[in-house]
Amino acid sequence: MSKIGVFICHCGENIGAKVDCTRLASTLGDHPGVASSIEYKYFCSDPGQESVKKAIRDNNLTGVVVAACSPRMHEATFRKACAEAGLNPYMCEIANIREQCSWVHNDNDKATDKAIDIVRSMVEKVKRNNNLQPIEVPVTRRALVIGGGIAGIQAALDIANAGQEVVLVEREPSLGGHMAQLSETFPTLDCSQCIMTPRMVEAAQHPKIRLLTYAEIESVDGYIGNFQVKVRLKARYVNKSTCTGCGECITKCPSKKISSEFDCGIGKRTAIYTPFAQAVPNIPVIDKNSCTYFKNGKCKICVKTCPLDCIDFEMQDEFEDLEIGAIVVATGFQVQNNAMYGEYGFGKYQDVITGLQFERLASASGPTGGKVQRPSDGKEPETVVFIQCAGSRDPSKGVKYCSKICCMYTAKHAMLYAHKVHGGKSKIFYMDIRAAGKGYDEFTRRAIEEDEAGYLRGRVSKVWLENGKLMVRGVDTLLGKPVEIAADMVVLATAMVAQPDAKEFAKTIGIGYDEYGFFNEAHLKLRPVESSTAGIFLAGACQSPKDIPDSVAQASASASKVLALFSKEKLEREPVIAVNNESTCAGCWGCVLACPYGAIEKKDIMDRSGKLIKRVASVNPGLCQGCGTCVTFCRSNSIDLAGFTEKQIFAEVMGL
Amino acid sequence: MSEPFEPKITAFVCTYCTYAGADLAGTSRLKYAPNVRIIRLPCTGRISPMFILKALQKGADGILISGCHPGDCHFTHGNYHARRRWMVFRALLAFTGIPEERIKYSWISAAEGLKFADLINSITEDIRKLGPFDQYHKLIEETQAPASL
Amino acid sequence: MSIEQLYRTRAKELLSSGEVKMVIGYGAGSNKERRRPLFITSAEECDKLVLDSACISNLSGYLLTEGLLSDEKRVAVFLRPEGVRALNVLAAEAQLDTAQIVIIGFDSPKGELKALEGSSVEEFTALITALKEITPETAGEEQLAKIEKMSPEERFLFWQEEFSKCIKCYACRQACPMCYCRRCIVDSNQPQWVNTSSHTLGNFEWNIVRAFHLSGRCVECGNCDRACPVNIPLRLINRKMAEEVLNSFNHFAGTSKTQEPVLASFKKDDSETFIL
Repeated sequence: MSKIGVFICHCGENIGAKVDCTRLASTLGDHPGVASSIEYKYFCSDPGQESVKKAIRDNNLTGVVVAACSPRMHEATFRKACAEAGLNPYMCEIANIREQCSWVHNDNDKATDKAIDIVRSMVEKVKRNNNLQPIEVPVTRRALVIGGGIAGIQAALDIANAGQEVVLVEREPSLGGHMAQLSETFPTLDCSQCIMTPRMVEAAQHPKIRLLTYAEIESVDGYIGNFQVKVRLKARYVNKSTCTGCGECITKCPSKKISSEFDCGIGKRTAIYTPFAQAVPNIPVIDKNSCTYFKNGKCKICVKTCPLDCIDFEMQDEFEDLEIGAIVVATGFQVQNNAMYGEYGFGKYQDVITGLQFERLASASGPTGGKVQRPSDGKEPETVVFIQCAGSRDPSKGVKYCSKICCMYTAKHAMLYAHKVHGGKSKIFYMDIRAAGKGYDEFTRRAIEEDEAGYLRGRVSKVWLENGKLMVRGVDTLLGKPVEIAADMVVLATAMVAQPDAKEFAKTIGIGYDEYGFFNEAHLKLRPVESSTAGIFLAGACQSPKDIPDSVAQASASASKVLALFSKEKLEREPVIAVNNESTCAGCWGCVLACPYGAIEKKDIMDRSGKLIKRVASVNPGLCQGCGTCVTFCRSNSIDLAGFTEKQIFAEVMGL
Repeated sequence: MSEPFEPKITAFVCTYCTYAGADLAGTSRLKYAPNVRIIRLPCTGRISPMFILKALQKGADGILISGCHPGDCHFTHGNYHARRRWMVFRALLAFTGIPEERIKYSWISAAEGLKFADLINSITEDIRKLGPFDQYHKLIEETQAPASL
Repeated sequence: MSIEQLYRTRAKELLSSGEVKMVIGYGAGSNKERRRPLFITSAEECDKLVLDSACISNLSGYLLTEGLLSDEKRVAVFLRPEGVRALNVLAAEAQLDTAQIVIIGFDSPKGELKALEGSSVEEFTALITALKEITPETAGEEQLAKIEKMSPEERFLFWQEEFSKCIKCYACRQACPMCYCRRCIVDSNQPQWVNTSSHTLGNFEWNIVRAFHLSGRCVECGNCDRACPVNIPLRLINRKMAEEVLNSFNHFAGTSKTQEPVLASFKKDDSETFIL
């Protein structure tokens, strides 16, 4: 027999002035199953909570309904009070008579009538509540960081420096990501490689970090605290353990004219190569598609050259299974292919280049040794036109969003150009200058005022070649006049886009993504570094376009989330999860399909001799997030949701 | 003059969006009609067609089902499943003569306190105009009448 | 040779060669219009098989008889196109493995019996896809249009009249190949979602739940409609719901054995004109 306690809070005047709490208390006091029905000015106060506890003990209450403010305010408070009085905390429910009653109605009688309905319905629910225990899941204290750019390195170092194990996976042959490609960085103009490479080395040498480069994620199973991750270690064709990185093989390799990915096609590399000189690890890989031996079966010059016999053409991809507790996704971005801008001549004229290509031209480690030279003839350009928003904020041809970094890097490009080519003229077509950030607006002002960057507010309609010059036709909307500029080079401030395989990857690891392929955070404002899947966190430009400071900040935030997760041996979760009645389950797998979390598995029921009797659905409590979509789908009513069971909801509706 | 008819309306809402939106209407002290009783569920995906039938059995003249806007579901896509389910269920109810006008669906986010208050007022008014769901109420009365042998 | 003869021979071959352990077909009924299901396990019995345009019931449900398919041996079954669709739905819902089923296909459009080629569900794909495009010219169509034209009150009265006859014998459920649940929701009493009293309210609830659980799954074989002892026109509701899922989601139940159940899947751009 239920003995429910009803506690009606006046919340000062907030409820008391509108709802007749005395009528409410006496009506509920007469309701079957209610053992105690009392009112008080502030039940959330210390004496208020004490009176709830006392009532539980004195009346041996089996359930509690607190009629007060929204459960979003004080459900936790009262559940804790119940637990302290020896009642299972999940035997306590809140009837919301403030936000959804006293505050929103004018008529006292009607508000009181409504409050009676609300509380009665909740009493009926509580009668059918069950004792629940928080779900405990063990935590594997090992983090996986996917992506070895600045965000991934930062997250890995932060986690490792706190003493936890990290596996850092990078799909390219070296750590570094896009930051390693940059020349100088805004707004300080410090050399990117000078600040990046020491972090790469630190990550590689850290005793708590296991580095897997040239590796990709094959599959992710499991759930928060208990992921099983399969990693593919791509064949390098170079023995990692014996190679010293002497570089002899690279020097001798006869295939020297392969377009370098790291140099964005402006520089060349060999078939056996490291992406750049400071690569970490400094171990080359053989590009199977370009290698003469792989193509013709002849060559093997590298084999002959290598003093330590490290080259192995028979090497195969290997797989490794990892036990992981938390995952940081830091897979970065790509620059958009500008081929759709035929009018800008990208792809047609060699001297129309992307911003990232300009970075390589301006970089001391780049193909020109940091001299700004035209790709077509190596001449120093006298006039350079920069076109901003080449892809960004262009719903018709490019992407709808602002790539956030282009205004700043274009200003930087203009500065670097002014510093490297004295007397060089830069013209910048822009839509708006978005320079929000510490020291950012000052930086663009400096570009304009000290380095004479010529900003023209307007769009470019066409670029064509005439008498050896790139003719740029645009409009200066501030003057209201069309302009034509004869330039030697055109730099497009290309949009940042998601990695081409981002959506596939998101499906592999089980996180959400937006229409562009950027990964979704759990809440844009309040949970910006968590993905919608518990235990998987986001860092850097894989979530949205970001600059270096933001990427690093987000990486450290992700690391702190991982560390908070690792601070306990076991995780506790709300026990609102689905439970299946295996005896009535028909095994139609509707729930399996409908579950947003892949939390429902197929389970074989065997007889004693091991013969399969039937297959039924089985809920993995670690993965289930408690939405209850499966319950509604289940025709035989076999699945139910703890905390919101069919019996409870039925009683709530019938109690109205 | 007789009192205007006060319809009984039962609402099934998800806790993350519409319930929070209703709370916001409260904290903003917006005023709306007192005819709606809210049942809180974790997600619109959890709202079963059976709930509607039971609310009708308890004499509801109108029903509201509300959750997160598409793309905003806390559970990523419970509301998409719900949307399909309601598309089918409302057609079925309409075909059996349970008027579509009595069963309302909406997306209300945690930020849309004003939309919540406005919606409650407008659906209360709509259902008041339709009058009590007498046809169904007669069926209920039949179950409550003493058995005659 | 008549189709009946042809299929008797086929059944004999299947059984005597051991390819199947059982043939489920039709036998003579209590009069010329009635046929009853026949379960044959030896070649000698095959002459009892009857096939004519009176063989209308969908036999696919018998395949789910407890234990019948658990030994992984094959079973042959006489099926009309809607029976093949039912097989696909059952396979999509993991209730059977179509590799265990040998189809003996037939149809009788406008009363004329014809044999259908193929013995596996895959061979019927083209036929089923073609069916999707055709608006069925069932007798119910006219009545359906009539009901759709009614006002909600009139519709309610119409169904109130019909459902008040319901005696909750659940013959509709028993006859339906899709009603394979071990425990039907109506038999669950914790909580008692469906009123089991013989009042019209409970009848309403039962019939709505039944139709909802079949939405997007019903192949309109008509088994329920024929089984109903009080002649509630269940086919009309089934037809209406089939139309609804076809128009709203372009879903035609039973086109393939891997078809996603329409209510366990969704598209982000599903129609939502009704949502405020």
